[in-house]
Amino acid sequence: MSFLLAHPGLIATRAGEHAILVLSSLAIALAIALPLGVLVARKPRAGTLVLGVLNAIYTVPSLALLAILVALFGLGAPTAVVALVAYAQMILVRNIAEGLRGVSPAALDAADGLGFTRRERLLRVELPLALPAIFGGIRIATVALIGLATVAAWIDAGGLGSIVFEGLHQDDAPKIVAGSMAAMALAFAADALLRLAERASVRA
Amino acid sequence: MAEPANGARIELRGVGVTYPGGAAAVRDVDLTIAAGEFTVLLGPSGSGKSTLLRTINRLIEPTAGEVLIDGVDARTLDPVELRRGIGYAIQAVGLFAHLTIAGNVGVVPSLLGWERARIAARVDALLTLVGLDPRVYRERYPRQLSGGEQQRAGVARALAAQPRALLMDEPFGAVDAIVRASLQDEIRRIQRELGTTIVFVTHDVDEALRLADRIVVMAGGTIAQTGTPEAILATPANDVVRGLVGIDAQSRRFAEARPLLARDER
Amino acid sequence: MPTRAHLLGALAALPLAACAGSVPPVAVGSKNFTEALLLGELYAQALSGAGLPVRRRLDLGGTDIAMAALRRGEIDLYPEYTGTALLVVLKALPRADAAATFAFIKSEYERRYDLTWLDPAPMNDTQALATTPAVAARFGLRTLSDLAARAPQLRLGAVPEFVKRSDGLPGLQRAYGGFAFKEIRLVDFGLKYAALLAGDVDVVVAFGTDGAIVADKLVVLTDDKHLFPQYHVAPVVRRATLAAHPQIAAALNPLAPLLTDGVVQALNEQIDGPQKREPADVAGDFLKSHG
Repeated sequence: MSFLLAHPGLIATRAGEHAILVLSSLAIALAIALPLGVLVARKPRAGTLVLGVLNAIYTVPSLALLAILVALFGLGAPTAVVALVAYAQMILVRNIAEGLRGVSPAALDAADGLGFTRRERLLRVELPLALPAIFGGIRIATVALIGLATVAAWIDAGGLGSIVFEGLHQDDAPKIVAGSMAAMALAFAADALLRLAERASVRA
Repeated sequence: MAEPANGARIELRGVGVTYPGGAAAVRDVDLTIAAGEFTVLLGPSGSGKSTLLRTINRLIEPTAGEVLIDGVDARTLDPVELRRGIGYAIQAVGLFAHLTIAGNVGVVPSLLGWERARIAARVDALLTLVGLDPRVYRERYPRQLSGGEQQRAGVARALAAQPRALLMDEPFGAVDAIVRASLQDEIRRIQRELGTTIVFVTHDVDEALRLADRIVVMAGGTIAQTGTPEAILATPANDVVRGLVGIDAQSRRFAEARPLLARDER
Repeated sequence: MPTRAHLLGALAALPLAACAGSVPPVAVGSKNFTEALLLGELYAQALSGAGLPVRRRLDLGGTDIAMAALRRGEIDLYPEYTGTALLVVLKALPRADAAATFAFIKSEYERRYDLTWLDPAPMNDTQALATTPAVAARFGLRTLSDLAARAPQLRLGAVPEFVKRSDGLPGLQRAYGGFAFKEIRLVDFGLKYAALLAGDVDVVVAFGTDGAIVADKLVVLTDDKHLFPQYHVAPVVRRATLAAHPQIAAALNPLAPLLTDGVVQALNEQIDGPQKREPADVAGDFLKSHG
């Protein structure tokens, strides 16, 4: 606790860096995952291929992936974002696809018969009905990213990981605790906020 | 006879649907449905009746023959525009769970870009038409409605954009007998009032006898017989029709009761 | 009469002029354990002292990341160990002696990566086995050969990797024979010395320059068969950077001979031990006291 109390400014700064890393990664990952999720839901064979690739990325050890990314993009936050976006894809795409596949076939048939275009059907019927599942995926991905974003420390990209790892190097328990607790607080907050959003979207 | 000015005339000429494997769901169907006519496609499951229904709004494309709506080949029309002009109601209803009843009913007008006041007025009118008090049902969600109420809302949704034809695929199959009878009365009444052409699919003989101006008996993908309910009952054309319709006490009772209901209104 | 366009053009040129006069900073990197951070700070502060603008990108996650960053120019130099360079980067075997090995490493790095090695330090942060004076006296342990023979009476504390690595326990067994410990307990490397001092284990896997060695007066067993390669540290620099700033060599080379085992152990101890000083402060004091 002592480190936490002694350096609130530093923790706040690092927590802010951490949050920005997670939020920007999440936004980009979502923008990519939505069309991918639609593809996986609609075309089973292409879908299996996509999921296979994403799963392979997900299982690459983060250190190895980071080394490759640093060689390509250099150190710093943008590279960390690339890594986080890659890891988040697996979780998001799978949840979006499952959410879309779970939409009532009767609703889809009715939509087609009433005269929705494919795009209107996707935007006005499928995605809204899949929203609870999509939010669930976002919630899981966010909490996962908060944990994963600690590796940003390895490539000079800031975040709470630097506090935790410094503490580990120096065998400095208060530092480790401070960094970990701040990360946990972020995770709890994100989880709670997103559950509220999920509940709101389940009104229907 | 009710003025059929609001109904579409539907012609099916040599319509066939053959699947890639070679199986034919529908073979060589010739059928003319007059404007404002209540036509029932009657047959057991696998007879091709639902498939035939879906060729009318191009949810299924015929592999042979053509479908003409008011004399126009359906293939020359944009399928989405076509469907917005034809109502569609299915057994599972398929109400959109994330929208209110008002949102559901007004969905096609909304796609067509009607202004909000016009949509709202139309929604209220339709809910009233199908026997759902708008003040009570407007803001409710589908899950809050009973099966029968959901089906009524589904019909309202199908009629919202003033279609000249309405396709119904076993819409009352999932509700109990008492609710079903009430819904059947409603749809007859609505059809009389609006003059919309209705094509109604069912496997329930009693329902067909009760609702139809004309029954089209289907079996094995082809038409076994077409005719008024009385004609079908009195002179079944072949064993298939005979086997389906059957001369049993219930059917006869309906056949006798029906003239009292429908004949006078023609 | 100067038009608005002329004025805007002049304004735009000002920051460019300012940039042309300034020098882009030299980026100093390091890996992410105590000794690496210490060395990174030593290099950074030595370069600052020589008048170069410096940017720190310390605490990088391992050799792969540091090398990727160095080759890409994200950092200009970082402290690396000869043993690591040989085994991990070049994937080669040691040469006849230390000097030949170093020459090999230097020429390979220049040939393959356009990177150059400055002078290496005498400190040898190699893998070692350490024990308390009491245990050493009781079992007569001075060399690894002694330990190989006495192992069945002793308990070893090691990280799980050590038991499997080819240059870990299997390597010891191959080179020395024996090394059949009575018990092997898996400990995290942050806790191993605590376990040793508490008497939970008799011998631990150590690094030659760990602070605890000098602090707790531990006995490091001599590698009499020279199994473990040498791990001397030196700055590895991009050739382009060195060409642009030759003062880098003049600033860092004098540092090398000062970094002996004893000195580095003591410096590590200040950071890892009870004082828990920051690497930057420890580095600063050291440079000040040595001019």
